[in-house]
Amino acid sequence: MTLRKWLFVLALLTPGLGLIVAFIGVAVYIAIAQSFGLYNLSGESGFSLEFWVKMLDRKVFSRAIAYSVYIGVLSAFLSVLFAYPLAIWLRKPFPGSLTIGAMLKAPLLVHGLVAAFLFINVIAYHGVLNQLMQGLGIWDGPKRLQNDRNAIGVIVLQTWKNMPFALLLLTGAVQAISDDVLHAARDLGAGGFDRFRKVIAPLTVSAMQAALIIIFIGALADFSFQVIAGPTNRQSLAQLMVFYKSGGRWNDAAVVGVTLMGIAILGSVLLAALPRMTLRGRVA
Amino acid sequence: MMSAQRFNRILLVLLLSLTAIWLIVPFTMAVMWSLVDPSEPWTADRLVPPVISLHRWRDMWENSSLKTALVNSYLLAPSAALAALTLSMPTAFALGRIRFPGREAAKILALLPLIVPPFVTSIFFTSLLYQIGLHHWRFGAILFAHAIVFMPYSIRILTVSFEQVRADHVDAARDLGASTWARWKVAYLPALKPGIFASLLIVFIQSIEEFAIAFVVGSPDFTTIPTLLYGTLGQDFVRPNAAVLSLILVVPNVLLMLILERLLKSANPALNSGKG
Repeated sequence: MTLRKWLFVLALLTPGLGLIVAFIGVAVYIAIAQSFGLYNLSGESGFSLEFWVKMLDRKVFSRAIAYSVYIGVLSAFLSVLFAYPLAIWLRKPFPGSLTIGAMLKAPLLVHGLVAAFLFINVIAYHGVLNQLMQGLGIWDGPKRLQNDRNAIGVIVLQTWKNMPFALLLLTGAVQAISDDVLHAARDLGAGGFDRFRKVIAPLTVSAMQAALIIIFIGALADFSFQVIAGPTNRQSLAQLMVFYKSGGRWNDAAVVGVTLMGIAILGSVLLAALPRMTLRGRVA
Repeated sequence: MMSAQRFNRILLVLLLSLTAIWLIVPFTMAVMWSLVDPSEPWTADRLVPPVISLHRWRDMWENSSLKTALVNSYLLAPSAALAALTLSMPTAFALGRIRFPGREAAKILALLPLIVPPFVTSIFFTSLLYQIGLHHWRFGAILFAHAIVFMPYSIRILTVSFEQVRADHVDAARDLGASTWARWKVAYLPALKPGIFASLLIVFIQSIEEFAIAFVVGSPDFTTIPTLLYGTLGQDFVRPNAAVLSLILVVPNVLLMLILERLLKSANPALNSGKG
C-alpha cells in the first residue's frame, strides 16, 4: 500500500474508530492513573501505592470481589445451561417454533430496570408468588423474598435477562450443524447426551464462549439489579465504585474500577479456555 | 415411543404457558399497579385493585420530572443516533470497501466500548470532564458519550452494508459517466439504506435505555427516563408510580424493536441495490 492510501485509510478511521480508541483509552488510562494517585482532581498528585494497599486491606473490597465474581460466573453458566436445550430443540422449524422463539427472546426488549421492578413486584411480601404459595398450602405465611441474603433474586434476574441472549447466539450455531453429521453420530450409536457432548458442543464452542464471556462481564459489572434486588449487606464492585465516586474518593473508585476491568479480562480468558479444556481433543 | 411431533406439541404447550407466566403475569401486575387509585390502597386480600383510575398517570405527568425526562431522553436518543451514524460512516466505508493490513484487528478494536464495563467508562469520563471543565453542559457530555459508546453497533452494521454494495453497480455507474455524488446515490445508497435505518434505530433504542452514563454524568440534575425510574425504585419507592414509569419505558421500545426486526429481515442486498 502506498503512503497516500494509508493516509486516506487513517483519515477515514479517525472520526469513528479513532474516537472510540481515544475515548475508551482515556477513560481506562485515567482509571489506572488515578488508582496510583496521579491525575487527582484536587490536592497534590503523585505516584503512590497507598490507595491499593489500603483498599486491599478493606473487608468490603474483598467481599465485593467475591460477590461480583459469584454473580458473574453463576449468571453466565445458568444462562447458557438453560439456552442450550432450547437452542437444540428449536434447531428445526416446526409449527409454533417461531412464536415460542420470539416469546423466549422477549426479555431482550425489556429494560433491566423495568425487569427489576416487575420482579420485585412478583416476589413482594404481598405479591403473587407469596399468595400463590400460601394458596397452595406450601408456605404458612408470607415470606420476605426481596433482597435475599444469597442474591438468588439477582441471579434470577440476570438469567431472565441474559438467557435470551445466549439463546440467540446458540441457535445460530446449532442451526449451522448439518443433519448429516447428527445422523452419522446417531447411526454410530451415539445417544442423546453423547451427541451433545461429542458433536454439538464441540461444533458450537465459539458461540458458547462468546455467550459465557459477554454475560459474565455484564453480570460482573452489575449495578442496578444489585441495588434494587440484591442483598443489602453486600455490595457489588460497580456499586462500591459508585459509592466511592459519590463521596469524592476518586482514587478509591479508580482502584475498584481497575480491579473490575482486571477481573473481567482474567475471567474472560478463563471462561474462553474452560469449554476448550473440557472438550479437549474434540475441538478443531 | 412418543412421536417427535407429539413430543414437540407437549413441550410447546408447556413452554408457551411458562413463558406466558413469566411475561404476562409481571406485566399485568405492572398495568394494574399503575391503575391503583390512591383513595383506596390495593391490599393483599384482593385480586384486583378496589378502585381503578388513571390518577397515577395524570399525577406523574403533572407533578414529577417525567416531562423533562421524556424531553431529555427523546432529544438525546435521535441526536446520539445521528451522531453515531455520521461518525461511523467513514470508518465503516474503510472497513467494508478497502483492503488494508490490520483490517480485522481494526474491526475487533471497534468493539472496545462493549467490553469495558459501562460504569467504569462513565465514572472516568466524568473525571475527564471535570479536568477539562466541561461538566456543566451535561446534555452535550452524555450525547458525546452515547455516540461513542454505541458506535460499535453502527460501525458493525454499516460495515456489512458497505460490503454488500455490488462492485458491478459502482463500475456500471462510473462507465455511464456518473459523478462521484451520482455514483454514491445510485450504487451505494440503495444498498446502504436498510443498514442506515437499522443503525439509527439500534443506537436510538440503546440511548433511550442507557442508565450508567446518564446516571453518573447527569446526576443530580439531568434526568432521563431510566434515571427517573431508578430514582422511584430507590429511596422514594412508590409502587404505582414506578409501574407508570416502567410501562412508559418499555412500550415504545417493544414497538421500535419490532420495526428493527423487520428492517433487518429486509436487509437483503439483492433486493435493495436497485436491480437484482
